[in-house]
Amino acid sequence: MTHQTHSYHMVNPSPWPLTGALSAFLMTSGLIMWFHFNSLILLALSLLTNTLTMYQWWRDIVRESTFQGHHTPTVQKGLRYGMILFILSEALFFMGFFWAFYHSSLAPTPELGGSWPPTGIHPLNPLEVPLLNTSVLLASGVSITWAHHSLMEGNRKHTLQALLITIMLGLYFTLLQASEYYETSFTISDGIYGSTFFVATGFHGLHVIIGSTFLIVCFMRQLTFHFTSNHHFGFEAAAWYWHFVDVVWLFLYISIYWWGS
Amino acid sequence: MSSLFPLIEGSARMWKTLTYFVALPGVGVSTLNVFLKHHGEEERPEFITYPHLRIRSKPFPWGDGNHTLFHNPHVNSLPIGHEDE
Repeated sequence: MTHQTHSYHMVNPSPWPLTGALSAFLMTSGLIMWFHFNSLILLALSLLTNTLTMYQWWRDIVRESTFQGHHTPTVQKGLRYGMILFILSEALFFMGFFWAFYHSSLAPTPELGGSWPPTGIHPLNPLEVPLLNTSVLLASGVSITWAHHSLMEGNRKHTLQALLITIMLGLYFTLLQASEYYETSFTISDGIYGSTFFVATGFHGLHVIIGSTFLIVCFMRQLTFHFTSNHHFGFEAAAWYWHFVDVVWLFLYISIYWWGS
Repeated sequence: MSSLFPLIEGSARMWKTLTYFVALPGVGVSTLNVFLKHHGEEERPEFITYPHLRIRSKPFPWGDGNHTLFHNPHVNSLPIGHEDE
């Protein structure tokens, strides 16, 4: 009995789960050292080890799947469940911040002037850059769908073109948001308005950066012929994540930028 | 490859059309909208030391501890007033 008689992937022993856990511990300790003892060394080390873990772990997954063929339909199904559950956990993460926002804004305290936005806060005009940001992300949702259909129809050139457009739109959003962050008259230290605004939009922006990175990886993999027209789960996972990021933005725009102004 | 036989459902073609004729022009129009509105927004609101704003419970772990991460001297004031006045 020298071959497996089931369709699952029994992964070889790997050091990356351990290095990942260690880097996470280093990160939390590093933040404490930074906040309380003015030392950046642990944090810097944690960012390095975390990045190295992610790179090597995902590189190994690509090797096991694209190059060694371990990703049977059964394995892929498990990965689909996994990605869906992960995105669900992220949705719940964001719901917490929306809860905080609505808790504070539906019944503004006297300390804030009894109003929302609080007295002295000049919110951004939702019909300017925030609206542009909305159109950018919605457009990227269309272009990534074009990319997916092109991939399924075996059109290599169009897949690359559409993916590139999606990535550029993601980068455009990030630049626009960064510029907005610099130009707003209010800051994170401006009471509960500042806290809810910057934490919610800040985590969203981080997810845009993560999603864009995922898309760039897909672009590079498509360049090097990793995907086939009917097996490209990495791309699908990136697309799901990207749509999720878009949906979170829509909720942010409607709640914080529009209703909250 | 796609020129050798006709597209099976043609759905990629529809999304391509949507991308170039709806999505990207929408971004273009919104960009123009921002660009046009941006002229004439130079005065900044009068500074009042509200206790519920510009909170400093603990210094920030960077710089002099008194500036937020995206501090813009032109539009952001410090707890005691604008820096550039």
